[in-house]
Amino acid sequence: MNLLVFTKRVPATQEEELRIVDDGKAVDLSKVPFKVNDWDNYAVEEAVQIAEKTGGTVTAISIGDKESDEVLRRAIAMGAKDGFLIEKEEILHDPGVRAALVNNFLKKEGIAYDAIFTGVQSEDDQFAAVGGILAAKLGIPYASMVIGIDAVEKDHLIARRELEGGLQERVKITSPCVLAIQSGINEPRYVSIMGIRKASKVERKTYKGADYSENANNSIEVVRWVYPPKKGAATMLTGELDEVCKQLLGVLKEKGVYQ
Amino acid sequence: MLEQSQTRVLTCIQCGKCTGGCPEAGKTPFNIRMLVRKRQFKSSIDENIPWYCTSCGACTIRCPRDVKPSEMIIEMRSSFVEDGDIPVSIQKALENTSVQRNPWGRSRAKRGAWVEKLGFEVPHVSETTSKRLLFTCCIQAYDPRCMVIPVNVATILNKGGLEFGILGEEEACCGNEIRRIGESGLFEELQEENIAAFKEYGVQEIITLSPHCMNTLKKEYGELGIKVTHYTEIVAEMIKEGKIVPKAPYAKKVIYHDPCFLGKQNGIFDEPRSILKAIDGLELLEFSRSRETSLCCEGGGGRMFCEVETTYQRNSEVRVIEAIEKGAEVMATSCPFCVMTLEDPATEKGLAVKELSEILMEVI
Amino acid sequence: MSYALIIAEVRRGVFEERNLDTLGICALLGKETVLLMPDKPYTFNENMYDTIIKAKTEEEVFLNPLNIAGIIEQVISARGKPDFIILTHSSSGSESAVYMAGLFSLPVVTDVSGYDKERNIFFKSYYSDKIFGEFKSSQEGTCILTVRSGSFKEFVGEKASAPKVEFIENVSVSEARTFVEYVEEEKTDIDITKAEFLLSVGRGIGNKDEIPDYEALAGLLKAVLSGSRPVIDKLWLPKARQVGTSGKTVKPKVYLAMGISGAFQHIAGMKDSDCIIAVNKDAEAPIFQYAHFGIVADIHKVRDKLKNILAG
Repeated sequence: MNLLVFTKRVPATQEEELRIVDDGKAVDLSKVPFKVNDWDNYAVEEAVQIAEKTGGTVTAISIGDKESDEVLRRAIAMGAKDGFLIEKEEILHDPGVRAALVNNFLKKEGIAYDAIFTGVQSEDDQFAAVGGILAAKLGIPYASMVIGIDAVEKDHLIARRELEGGLQERVKITSPCVLAIQSGINEPRYVSIMGIRKASKVERKTYKGADYSENANNSIEVVRWVYPPKKGAATMLTGELDEVCKQLLGVLKEKGVYQ
Repeated sequence: MLEQSQTRVLTCIQCGKCTGGCPEAGKTPFNIRMLVRKRQFKSSIDENIPWYCTSCGACTIRCPRDVKPSEMIIEMRSSFVEDGDIPVSIQKALENTSVQRNPWGRSRAKRGAWVEKLGFEVPHVSETTSKRLLFTCCIQAYDPRCMVIPVNVATILNKGGLEFGILGEEEACCGNEIRRIGESGLFEELQEENIAAFKEYGVQEIITLSPHCMNTLKKEYGELGIKVTHYTEIVAEMIKEGKIVPKAPYAKKVIYHDPCFLGKQNGIFDEPRSILKAIDGLELLEFSRSRETSLCCEGGGGRMFCEVETTYQRNSEVRVIEAIEKGAEVMATSCPFCVMTLEDPATEKGLAVKELSEILMEVI
Repeated sequence: MSYALIIAEVRRGVFEERNLDTLGICALLGKETVLLMPDKPYTFNENMYDTIIKAKTEEEVFLNPLNIAGIIEQVISARGKPDFIILTHSSSGSESAVYMAGLFSLPVVTDVSGYDKERNIFFKSYYSDKIFGEFKSSQEGTCILTVRSGSFKEFVGEKASAPKVEFIENVSVSEARTFVEYVEEEKTDIDITKAEFLLSVGRGIGNKDEIPDYEALAGLLKAVLSGSRPVIDKLWLPKARQVGTSGKTVKPKVYLAMGISGAFQHIAGMKDSDCIIAVNKDAEAPIFQYAHFGIVADIHKVRDKLKNILAG
């Protein structure tokens, strides 16, 4: 099975205090370190494991600026055969645009595949959308939140989707298809710095995003960026023990972990 | 970097001095002599075993044939690292270091934030005339418990009239633990990055706060022409010269725990003791295993990030029990990892653990 | 007529509580609400909707993005284009939403957690919830939204009259993706990193004999029991249950910490949980700095009281 897997270089914002600049027009990421999108890391690992089992190849694809080559090298170090960069300098906030770019790219370059893997979502925009939009545009079936691939057959796969509350569903999906991979599906291998250096010797191809922009127009836009309401100190639950415990159960119900 | 080679391993005569001094031997499945033997025959080993090593260095110091068993462990770990098959928590520490330049994955931008706790300004090292750098260390830059150490030492040095500066967010993890985990590529990156910063700002001298940083900066960064010391060496000298005067009495029985990377691996035994002895009323006690034979706290060699498979009585608990038996009221040490590992059982048993600077701050 | 089409989230005969959020945002948008759902018996307050369209098909067929698109095409050919198609930001909701966006070439904003009526702007979280983007559609016509659970339910209300009920008789079923079966997550080998709700205990529980009572509480709450390093070190809980730098890093929906003071290494392993609730007798315990909710109390008393309430 030959697989395409999408991987994105994202800012590691978890620990950072982010600043909005230019009157809300931009978020300052100049001091933020970048890393591979966590979900994509699982997707690459899953693709590599399947290729190893079924005797196919994995091609990593990234949309982004030149620096995104870093996540392609990483994917190659994990076992991908090669990597394509669809170069685009500006950040694309509309998942529809990303999907259109890829759709045009795959068709124009005549790239063959049995399945396309993406991460469920990317850590920066949390959209969880590109895979589904792309599948519809390519006219192939789609499944997201894939937490297990139980069988890979000649013309179909059996995938397990994560639902809510510990429930999963098993679906049969014909190939080619797009699967959005959920974190936790596997244990991604460690990629050593030496491994990445070795991967640098494998050629990666760069394509200009502008060549694939047909119908890749923004359908949504960001008016401005704002800070969320500040999370203050912990809300202290006070009162009589009975009262406090009932409040606690109320919180659990609200968060949806206790009915 | 030290090179371990097959020829070295082959010189081993299986005398067992390594195992005899190993803090993990007997209580865990880790048997260093056996591992060397297996290495001689290139036979396979259980992949969990090398992660027990705390990198205390006792085996390498005791070995009569210079086999350097602790370096052999690093080589074994290296092959796991290159295969990508390592414990998840170790993997996390490495990935964090790769992104944020500290194993805890805290924001690099906040690495210098601890200076806000000081009552005075600390300049960037480039702005000092002495080009003397205070190297913070990751855990001391972020962990609220360990952050008191740079805060205290900076205060003490400042009181003693010594000029120094910091690198702030330009400082990267020293890589001492990273190298011992077996990630040599990442270690080289960290080393190159730090050396580039030292060169750019013309650093002449480095005062380290953690013995782990001192060890690697001094012995594994190559010839830099920069004097590297542990702060206890500087402070002991300043007390001798009367630049720092412990005035208030400290009428307590204090037992001193030698950190492996300060003591047995770098021979700094007397300076911390001379600081404690200079304090009025302080009664200094010694462990039955002290100085060269000090019992490792098990915080080194990546063990801060990795829980081994078996359960056994931790050395930190052994240490605490002995300290209490000896009548100690305070256990003093001079390494953040030792503080972290010792404090856990100590708090439970009602013994205070203090980093040396904490005691000093109470008396000057 | 201007309306919003709400796609119901149903699962194994249950009309999910999260549907209140899709309805709530419709109230803010001021649109006629048309609910689309499978024609099966579900228990919910139908009077909150203007119209309910019931598709005569199996629930699993309805929840498949390849099929729901065809059902919606039928709705549109009968009623015209809606202003919005709104789904829950759930596993199946977001899956169907983005597939439709691709199929019908419509704008989509996912995980919407706020709406500014005056400026007609949707709020969507970015960068680990540290920044919000104010989004709007840049084209005329239908926009697809998925909404974050808990964001809009307070805005729902009952309509004056009972809803109109319509039916879709024929639903075509895709062969490209088919439902096989439901699978309950294996419970034998507990993986605390996958739990949605962790009850975590620390040194504060005092001794090993207290563990069974906390296990019982976890059982009543349907939570998974985990612990901090001291608890694991003392063999009160197995290693696989350890949260922290040297154990596992967890991100559950709720992390209920009892008797955990919050050592740095522990915090590093759980601080990204969606909701942290700390119970500790020491009001100064560092864990309260990271918690969303806090209770200063004797943890055993809280445990016993909770067990009482839950059992009663």
